[in-house]
Amino acid sequence: MKKSAWAGKLYLILVLIFLYAPIFTLIVLSFNDSKSRSHWDGFTLDWYISLFSNEYIMNAFWNTILIALVSSIVATLVGTAASIGMYRMKLPMKRLMMGVTNIPMLNADIVTGISLMLLFIACRMTMGFASVLIAHITFNIPYVIISVLPRFASLDKSQFEAALDLGATPVVAFRKIVLPDLMPGIIAGFLMSFTMSLDDFIITHFTKGPGVDTLSTKIYAELKKGINPEIYALSTILFAFVLLMLFLINMKNSDRTSRRRGPKNWAFLRKATAGISIGLFLCLSLTSCASSYDYDDENTLFVYNWGEYLDPTIIEDFTEETGIEVIYDEYETNEVMYPKIISGAAQYDLVCPSDYMIEKMISEDLLLPLDKSKLPNLKNIDPAYLKMSESFDPGNKYSLPHTFGTVGILYNKSMVDPEDSFDTWSILWDEKYKDDILMQDSVRDAMMVALKLLGYSMNTTDPNELREAQQLLMKQKPLVQAYVVDQVRDKMIGNEAAIGVIYSGEAIYTQEENPDLEYVIPKEGTNFWLDSWVILKGTKHEENAHKFLNFLMEPEMGWRNFDYITYSTPNIGGRALIEEEEIRNSEIAFPHLEDYYGLETYSYMGDDYERQMNRLWREVKSF
Amino acid sequence: MNKSKTTLLAAPYAVWSAGFVVIPLFIILFYGLTSENGGLSTGILQAAADPINQKALALSIVFSLIATLICLLIAYPLSLVLSALSGKAGRENTTFFTMLFILPMWINSLIRTIAWQNILERTGVINRFLNFAGLPELNIINKPPAIILGMVYDFLPFMILPIYNSILKINKDYIDAAKDLGANNIQTIFKVTLPLSLPGIIAGITMVFVPSLTTFVISDILGGGKILLVGNIVEQLFTLDNDWHAGSALSCVLMVFIIINILISELSERKDLSENSKGGIEL
Repeated sequence: MKKSAWAGKLYLILVLIFLYAPIFTLIVLSFNDSKSRSHWDGFTLDWYISLFSNEYIMNAFWNTILIALVSSIVATLVGTAASIGMYRMKLPMKRLMMGVTNIPMLNADIVTGISLMLLFIACRMTMGFASVLIAHITFNIPYVIISVLPRFASLDKSQFEAALDLGATPVVAFRKIVLPDLMPGIIAGFLMSFTMSLDDFIITHFTKGPGVDTLSTKIYAELKKGINPEIYALSTILFAFVLLMLFLINMKNSDRTSRRRGPKNWAFLRKATAGISIGLFLCLSLTSCASSYDYDDENTLFVYNWGEYLDPTIIEDFTEETGIEVIYDEYETNEVMYPKIISGAAQYDLVCPSDYMIEKMISEDLLLPLDKSKLPNLKNIDPAYLKMSESFDPGNKYSLPHTFGTVGILYNKSMVDPEDSFDTWSILWDEKYKDDILMQDSVRDAMMVALKLLGYSMNTTDPNELREAQQLLMKQKPLVQAYVVDQVRDKMIGNEAAIGVIYSGEAIYTQEENPDLEYVIPKEGTNFWLDSWVILKGTKHEENAHKFLNFLMEPEMGWRNFDYITYSTPNIGGRALIEEEEIRNSEIAFPHLEDYYGLETYSYMGDDYERQMNRLWREVKSF
Repeated sequence: MNKSKTTLLAAPYAVWSAGFVVIPLFIILFYGLTSENGGLSTGILQAAADPINQKALALSIVFSLIATLICLLIAYPLSLVLSALSGKAGRENTTFFTMLFILPMWINSLIRTIAWQNILERTGVINRFLNFAGLPELNIINKPPAIILGMVYDFLPFMILPIYNSILKINKDYIDAAKDLGANNIQTIFKVTLPLSLPGIIAGITMVFVPSLTTFVISDILGGGKILLVGNIVEQLFTLDNDWHAGSALSCVLMVFIIINILISELSERKDLSENSKGGIEL
């Protein structure tokens, strides 16, 4: 007997280790002095300090808490009322209601999320905070009902009737007799729905609008480019807080066993709940005031940019100099940005899409021509890149280059055979490097590699050429360790793989972190890309947008931004300010374009073409 | 209290769920049954016949069945251990144990799943340890076992809680009676505890199987993009392709499997659903 008790405890501990191991990993990472999660650079508390000044993470955090609290309170009220009503219902009706209650719990989150998204779109409702809240209330109510309804089974009806006989009104009798019995169920339901709301990602992912992020959606966005260590710090603080609460509650509970559980406790809880609700209501009204921007304000500018693509101090300096308030949002891919722009849900003024996306937006008449008389700093931009831009924006009418670069091969000198040559895409098909290759997880970048190796244009529409490239990628799949986007960076820094396909802008950063890494542009040619600023048609801040662009083109700003993001700047004056000579003249950051063969930019090929390409790529990943 | 007036308390919920649960499902069905030019289509059949979808669906079913089985095998003995421990120490401990398993869910599940990358990677925590001990490396990241591990990890609490609750509810007299009648511990578990905790087991199976079947996040994070589950395809059809009709059609196919799963669990339960604490916690 004794032995089995020990075995039982050991088993419990093993399961707890399994459940808590990732949390401890997060805690360790939150103290890591490196931005990359893949190597340890010593102990630091910096992430805890910078966390509180990171507006995006803190906003996402408060949104998460607010949505969880409001949705679980509303769900508790509606769900408890519904349970009381359902208890008194006739059986067929009760069955029906129970069936409906089971739908959100048993259905797939992805279906629930998509169905709500389609509903909001059908109702022409702008997706934002409110839509996420509605979605969370919807999936929370069932958790309250299944916690409260079973409580009626153990209810003593005669007590309630006795209270009525003694002259209590039904409401008073309910409050004094029934409610205390229901309370444990109500609290359990509240806690359950709070937890589910806190942890939800999938439903939020589909029902959220631009500018609204919860921690989940923020983390998912960062997953593609590497997690910001401040999120580890936040998780650690949360974990410590919750653990403390758990122990306090546990101590309180042991305290209570000596006394009999009486309505007194519930009176306290009721007051606490009321207090929290009032506090929350105030919070909510404050936040809604804060988040309802004044769209007619002359002194604002709405900017929508790639994540980690602009030094935040540049925005601060701009606001200081001009008094123009910049409302700044981030996106992860062109494909995420585009639907938000055409839905018209968000009224952005400035966006920074890539070449082919700009071509698409021009063809759909979404952009406003630039007024070059208001952009005297245009002289700082290298004409070579303006010329490259003409391939998607003839005459440079709409766009202004922000960054540019190439796609190439990053390899780890310490992990590869020095005899091999790495200036060719064919190295990615070398059996020797099985499981050591990282490919880009995007249709066009992956297809580009195969098409270039075959000697075709990366903008080909020939079905045979596309099919051939697809076959080549399928042949490569067994050698590939993973298809990733910006995670190539962290994995290469951490010696996780020997060869990876990467954007040149990331290459400089990875070399700083791991000197064994080398970047080459393959001889078969590659994608030369530009991300450029464009002003959206329908902007109410045309003047401010031009001021902002002109400010960005000052040499100092070009230099500061390059220093911050390490993506090449087209700003000649900015480049001249770079102190380290080897970076100023780096072939990675500032390649002599004429020395390379087969550089191409992507063209926009139409929606049908995109779907066809997506399908080819899904086939590669599937089989 | 007037019966019909009391029933009205359920009215707000009835309206809410009609608007935000029932109607949205019909919208999916509508998109699944129509094509982009507005006419009726056989999109659902096409989605079911597409080899990519079939493979993804088959993989999803196999992975989620394995994950559900592993969860059950871990959770059942654990619940027995927990109930034995809390039986001794009294009621507060029940709450404490329940909270121990809910607590990790308060840290975002995405970030916890990402942390598994750090643990499982070639240069990760486990392999550093194995290297140090001179043992062969564990190489499961970006492969099916890593995805299954992620599923087990993310959804294990949903298996533990209902089983634990249903074991706690068993009248201890039954167990004593079995022992008085000469059953040993193992026999008691299989003949008494197991059948009486069946509602909890079924609830747990549903609550692990469905989210595993339809996840796209775990395969994204731990599969290295090399394995497409059906959730990944639905997600891509909506976000990448912007093809709501194909996405809805595949969702409809997915719902068929979920409905089958629900029917099986309802049949084997044969009890009024309202009476059992599916996934609920008790304090």
